[in-house]
Amino acid sequence: MEPATPLALPLDPAEVFEALQQLHMTVFSQSVSPCGKFLAAGNNYGQIAIFSLSAALSSEAKEESKKPMVTFHAHDGPVYSMVSTDRHLLSAGDGEVKGWLWAEILKKGCKELWRRQPPYRTSLEVPEINALLLIPKENSLILAGGDCQLHSMDLETGTFTRALRGHTDYIHCLALRERSPEVLSGGEDGAVRLWDLRTAKEVQTIEVYKHEECSRPHNGRWIGCLATDSDWMVCGGGPALTLWHLRSSTPTTVFPIRAPQKHVTFYQDLILSAGQGCYVNHWQLSGELKAQVPGSSPGLLSLSLNQQPAAPECKVLTAAGNSCRVDVFTNLGYRAFSLSF
Amino acid sequence: TGLSDHEVIRKRLLIDGDGAGDDRRINLLVKSFIKWCNSGSQEEGYSQYQRMLSTLSQCEFSMGKTLLVYDMNLREMENYEKIYKEIECSIAGAHEKIAECKKQILQAKRIRKNRQEYDALAKVIQHHPDRHETLKELEALGKELEHLSHIKESVEDKLELRRKQFHVLLSTIHELQQTLENDEKLSEVEDAQETIMEADPKP
Repeated sequence: MEPATPLALPLDPAEVFEALQQLHMTVFSQSVSPCGKFLAAGNNYGQIAIFSLSAALSSEAKEESKKPMVTFHAHDGPVYSMVSTDRHLLSAGDGEVKGWLWAEILKKGCKELWRRQPPYRTSLEVPEINALLLIPKENSLILAGGDCQLHSMDLETGTFTRALRGHTDYIHCLALRERSPEVLSGGEDGAVRLWDLRTAKEVQTIEVYKHEECSRPHNGRWIGCLATDSDWMVCGGGPALTLWHLRSSTPTTVFPIRAPQKHVTFYQDLILSAGQGCYVNHWQLSGELKAQVPGSSPGLLSLSLNQQPAAPECKVLTAAGNSCRVDVFTNLGYRAFSLSF
Repeated sequence: TGLSDHEVIRKRLLIDGDGAGDDRRINLLVKSFIKWCNSGSQEEGYSQYQRMLSTLSQCEFSMGKTLLVYDMNLREMENYEKIYKEIECSIAGAHEKIAECKKQILQAKRIRKNRQEYDALAKVIQHHPDRHETLKELEALGKELEHLSHIKESVEDKLELRRKQFHVLLSTIHELQQTLENDEKLSEVEDAQETIMEADPKP
């Protein structure tokens, strides 16, 4: 057998630095553009990359189509969360939330449209913002994170209208229950709290770790992911991934997976979840695992389903996590290809 | 020039494509016509005439064949057009069916989801005991409670009665004791008076 020829190593320090950066990159958040053709991804270096889904999915896609169209420096810290309205991209991470115009974002040297910081109690530490949630009916944004409060900001005026207090430790995730309308928040303190937006009060508390069926004390009590579908809620993290019936506060189904899940969402008649381990898990509400599709990152932190009606050809599931790659699943059953920073 | 050669070859191939040599035959016809005009004997002339006629009929035959083929091609084209249109229609129909089936799939998924939600809740409800059973148990317990409280009432009444009777008894005893004491005191006083009278008789 021939001895393997040594690879030519990039001795250029800039290239080495870039390679190291790619190696240690974590993509925390994703957001689809209102037209459905672009995907924004935010990483731990504070950069946001915009990928063109329509180019990468088209029949004449080349290797360059899987690279970002533009990458810019958005925050000084990691970009933990992003959401899109019908014209803006909102990104948050290091205590500030910034707004960008989707129409301008593809141009070089794009500047943020505005930046706001919620009123924190101490000015010494600036707590990170872990989750953003849009309330379309009120045209407001809910921010939650390290200071254990949910702040609500009016998107027209930029003023912070309420601060909902109740969590005793930082908040990981938010979900919107459209019918009531209520906001659900899950945090490190192990509780899922439901807040009524009109009265700004906590209406229901579910302390997940206190229920024997799902608690896993060796993992902790933190709630890493939350999703809701009017009467039902699924949450996971330290405790096992469980489906809850909200009105009776009872856990109905415990999904048998040991790895803590970091993102969960309802899709048609399934529940999709991802977390530690490279798989995207497809669950039926009865608790059966319908499919386990491997991705390319060793752990996944966010899932995004592009259901924008304007671009049905770009209807894909994208998953990102502990690597510089964003996996694209065209048919939910397998990974078609990966976009990369 | 090269171009005109190309054109010429192209034209010749088009005209004489079937390779039966019709073009050559027509050229030969001219020559044979001249030969026939110049023929000497009657026999030679007649045979030449026959040859020309046969050549002509051959040419006519191949022309007829070509016309038939042309006709056939036209009809084949029409046939293909028809089939093409039919296929287009069935493609459109299939597209519609696909869209319809997709809607049905979504509906079926929704139904499945609802069923599974129902099952999940039903499982939880099963864990709790049956409502009828619990109601029956509650009724039985209620009756028992009533019964026991009746017993308690009657026992208390009895106790009251006994208490009152004892009270009467005790007070009677006390009265008797008092009476006995009084009687004793009275008899003591009488005895004392008697001894005084005996010690001191009337002077």
